[in-house]
Amino acid sequence: MHRVVRRACLLAMLVLTANVWAQDLASIEKRVTVKKLDNGLTLIIYERPEAPVFSYATVANVGAAQEVPGITGLAHMFEHMAFKGSDEIGTTDAAAEQAALKKVEDAYTAYDVERRKTVGHDDAKVAQLEKAWKDALDAAQKFVVPNEFSKVADQAGAVGMNAFTQADQTVYFFSMPSNRLELWAYLESNRFLHPVFREFYKERDVVMEERRMRTESTPFGRVLEQFTSVAFLAHPYHNGVIGWPSDLKSFSASDAEAFFKKYYIPSNLVVAVVGDVKASEALPLLEEYFGRLPKAPEPEPLRTVEPQQKAERTVVLHEQSQPVYFEGYHRPPITDPDNEVYDVMEELLSDGRTSRLYRSLVRDKKIAANAGGFSGYPGNKYPSLFTFIAFTTPGHTGPEIRAGIEEQLTRLKNEDVSPEDLQSVKTRVKAQLLRQLESNQSLALQLAISQTLFGDWKELFRSVDRVDKVTAADIRRVASKTFTADNRTVVYIDNSKPAATATATGASK
Amino acid sequence: MKMLKNLSIAAAAILALAGNAQVTDYHKIQTPPLHNFTPAQPKRIVLGNGMVIFLQEDHELPLINGRAIIRGGGRDVPASKAGLIGIYAQSWRTGGTTAKTGDELDDFLEARAAHIETPGDVDSTGVTMNILKGDFDAVFPLFVDILQHPAFRQDKIDLAKTQTRTSISRRNDDPDSIRVREANKLGYGADSPYARQPEYATIASITRDDLVAFHDRFVHPNNIILGFVGDFDSAAMEKKLRAAFGSWAKGPQATKPADTGTPAKPGYYLINKDDVTQSNIAVVHPSHMMRNDPDYYAAVVMNEILSGGSFSGRLMNDIRSKAGLAYGVGGGLFAGWDHPTLFNVVMGTKSGTTIEAVNMLKQEVEDLQTKPFTEDELKRAKDAILNGFVFTMDSKAKILNQRMMLEFYGYPADYWQKYQKGVESVTTADVARVAKKWVHPDQLAVLVIGNPKDFDKPLTSLGSVQTVDITIPEPGANNAPKSAAPAAAATPAANTPDAIALMKKVQQFVGGKAVIDSVKATHQVADLTMKTPGGDMQMESDTTTRYPDAVRRVMKTPMGDVTMVITSEVAFQASPMGNRDLPSSQRDTLLRGLKMDLISVLRNVEQPGYTYATSGKEKVGDVDAQVVTITGPDNGVVKWFIDPASGRILRASRSGASGTEVTDFADWKAFGAITLPASFTMTVNGEKTASGNVKSTDLNPTIDASAFEKPKQ
Repeated sequence: MHRVVRRACLLAMLVLTANVWAQDLASIEKRVTVKKLDNGLTLIIYERPEAPVFSYATVANVGAAQEVPGITGLAHMFEHMAFKGSDEIGTTDAAAEQAALKKVEDAYTAYDVERRKTVGHDDAKVAQLEKAWKDALDAAQKFVVPNEFSKVADQAGAVGMNAFTQADQTVYFFSMPSNRLELWAYLESNRFLHPVFREFYKERDVVMEERRMRTESTPFGRVLEQFTSVAFLAHPYHNGVIGWPSDLKSFSASDAEAFFKKYYIPSNLVVAVVGDVKASEALPLLEEYFGRLPKAPEPEPLRTVEPQQKAERTVVLHEQSQPVYFEGYHRPPITDPDNEVYDVMEELLSDGRTSRLYRSLVRDKKIAANAGGFSGYPGNKYPSLFTFIAFTTPGHTGPEIRAGIEEQLTRLKNEDVSPEDLQSVKTRVKAQLLRQLESNQSLALQLAISQTLFGDWKELFRSVDRVDKVTAADIRRVASKTFTADNRTVVYIDNSKPAATATATGASK
Repeated sequence: MKMLKNLSIAAAAILALAGNAQVTDYHKIQTPPLHNFTPAQPKRIVLGNGMVIFLQEDHELPLINGRAIIRGGGRDVPASKAGLIGIYAQSWRTGGTTAKTGDELDDFLEARAAHIETPGDVDSTGVTMNILKGDFDAVFPLFVDILQHPAFRQDKIDLAKTQTRTSISRRNDDPDSIRVREANKLGYGADSPYARQPEYATIASITRDDLVAFHDRFVHPNNIILGFVGDFDSAAMEKKLRAAFGSWAKGPQATKPADTGTPAKPGYYLINKDDVTQSNIAVVHPSHMMRNDPDYYAAVVMNEILSGGSFSGRLMNDIRSKAGLAYGVGGGLFAGWDHPTLFNVVMGTKSGTTIEAVNMLKQEVEDLQTKPFTEDELKRAKDAILNGFVFTMDSKAKILNQRMMLEFYGYPADYWQKYQKGVESVTTADVARVAKKWVHPDQLAVLVIGNPKDFDKPLTSLGSVQTVDITIPEPGANNAPKSAAPAAAATPAANTPDAIALMKKVQQFVGGKAVIDSVKATHQVADLTMKTPGGDMQMESDTTTRYPDAVRRVMKTPMGDVTMVITSEVAFQASPMGNRDLPSSQRDTLLRGLKMDLISVLRNVEQPGYTYATSGKEKVGDVDAQVVTITGPDNGVVKWFIDPASGRILRASRSGASGTEVTDFADWKAFGAITLPASFTMTVNGEKTASGNVKSTDLNPTIDASAFEKPKQ
């Protein structure tokens, strides 16, 4: 009886939300204008005149996955360089600076080749070449107007200026008062028109600090780096976005320039603007500015495909920190027809206090303080990992988490998800998307990333329709094919060994 | 199509007049005036009982968000209960209402993609609600119920405590979190309510009564500011809110506690952390500036010059961009709404440039008083603040939140208009004066968290250094940290190598570590003989154990079956006389026992939470048995008497409620892959109480899903 009533309520509620949803989609489409420029760059404008501000996101369809050994970390390094200005911003004399930077590169190449020689390595010569390079750096520094790009934007009222690099994309974003649209269009197109790689080697040191902060000095970062490097043998998802220290200490501004020329081509860029902007007025203006970027041939698609995993992989970090636990299973890319089945499993396992991992590992067994399973890591453009992360409660260990997760995966494979649970997930997926629309910045990011991944921003919304079609049988089928022992990679911290041993191991590296 | 294209070309031509796309100098780009913009202010309503309500309509999306801010927070609890607000905030929501358990609330809300949460802060708590608008009438009664009738169920208090213990155990793992916490202690004083941290002991002392008392002390309409924003009609909403809260009786008015705390002396403070490659640095001193101080606007401009914007500030320019010494650097002179805060500047740099970076950071602070603020710096900073000012009111939700903050701290509603004017009028002379008055380079406590063996120079080269011990005090330990001890999390007792070696032998004897590790559950049937006041009683026991924390035991007695189920969730006994819940003390004792049973103890050799130490030899029968004292979770202790030759466990002994409980094991035999005793005898204080013969033991049996569920009445 109780159950019947509950189902009836659910049904009534669904009818309501579905209606709300349909209305909303229609109104969203009316507000969106998309224009693909002759040079291949895509502009998206979403009109939302509520307040005189706008946010934008530029998504470059290039990430750490486009790197090869020797230049790992370079996609992220270029992201940093995109704040260093151009031939028109950040310099007192563009021509003289260009000549000085050419000398820096020549001196650096000579130094770097000598430094890395294994046969006939000569310390004195290395020191001499290093000095020559540093002298050249000092000479080039004289032409720098520091941080001019950021200062101009900040002074005009920009807020939230930032960027991030992931395995699949590099994303630039901030917000501005709407009367600064043209200044923004100038700045944003200019940084990709003629970027100048000034202060490259100092910024490399900054990135090394970022690596020390994020990856080396926190247990989470240390586990994460092991996780992807063990789970992927061949595909570039093997390399963390931050890059390997030796590459960060070696790659050059010339490497960055070559990378830029190959991948920062207009057809690899999507720019989305959301806010107090009229498409009819703004589009021609943006077209003028972004149309300046020269058309270029598209880079060849990635060749390497991760081979099928044939053996379970387990990696244990012995250190004094409390355990952090990662577990991953290879899964197909976001364009796969089963993508939304993975999304539903993510929700079911991880979203909120009704999620299965919360209820089993956190609430009942009390072996984890947090536990979740996430649909695509480290990216989703290429086949990636369904990834579980857990933080143990005191006295509990990685193997206990592993057993707890396995119990839930067995359940996913063997039992149909109840209609109520499935419906609850579907309702939440829709609501989440709706809530992402609340902020200009978040909407700009979502539109630009969806356009980049699928060639169509509307996929962001169509994905919700596909989620609606996922059945209990789909979940059992996809869980059964994915969550197998041979497809599993487990990485965790074990702090049961005395800390001194762990330290000694760390120090000997 | 063609037509459209022509039109847009025409539009482009018009726009080209305003902005020539071929510009090579951004200074030439025209800035049209910002659109006229008068943001809608929320409607303010005051109920007769003192509750203040703000309503802000926003019809763009079919959503409604609500929030009650309630006076009273972490600063209102005694130091001995530090951490109370975290336990309170969590179990307020998860512990449910008198009508519905927290789990029932979860199911109800999640099915509607609705959220109700109960955050807790240093000066306030709250209840938030985020819903699709169609669900208002279904969800709002729960929001009211949580405010007025929370249940604080014990199981969720316990869960919140486990979560808090977890964060205590992890608090020294991440250098950033160490820096935030320890810099606060230096700047506010370790005894300040704004710097306090929970400890195992303070968490253990918090009871349900404490939580209920906190709730009763603060959650009254006259301490509440309520705000709703979203797709609703204000008049209808006002009616619903008046109906829900209008007759709620007033309670005692909350007042702000006095500011206490003894900031640390200026100087150098070092925290050793040997697993990092980067030093975390903070320079800090108390700030007595308030948001309503006339100097506040100049302080805002000074902060903007120091570290405002993305890369515009002095700190980013000098330390990151010019020197390449940091990824993150920032901070400034903070101002409180109602209590003093900190001057605090922080950065991270590689171990090998630590001293260089400390010197640069200190120089930047001194420069605030000695390096003149230029007109250019002033203009850039003011432009950035004033041009970006529109972002303080670019959404209706933001405007509502600001109004609620102003109401909470007793600031006038036109605060932000004054702020804008205040910043406009700031001069370089104002900034210089304020920097001299409020910044104290000679008062800085300099905190470094890092790996001193890799520093460019010893920190002592800068002055005398005090080492801060951040060892986490174990439960029951004296809370005062010892000085100059290593900074790693300590374990209370240590394994002894001979005990570990012997335990490994026991593991071998029983069937090997792999077999033990594979045991997730057992099912055991045994014949028992128990001494009772009425003579010996025979019965069969049927026990299903699911590690780590669930047992179901059916005793087939002459009077009928007695079923006892203990899990972390439920504890009850079902017998022909009916069902009854077992007291939580009994549940805890039994669960603690389970963590110290044969399988658990063997499984956890060299695992955190368990230690094994030899403690002499004792005769058991004619064997010279090695005694191993095993300490487990929740202070569980058991002694095992082991035959050192074979690794066979002869006896286990522990202190129970009624004295020393001793179990002697005999007839070890294989049950499948594992070898276990087939018979045992129990004595309490030397008197035999029970004996048993094991008929069968199955490893990892199939367990009926309902085995650990409470039967319906």
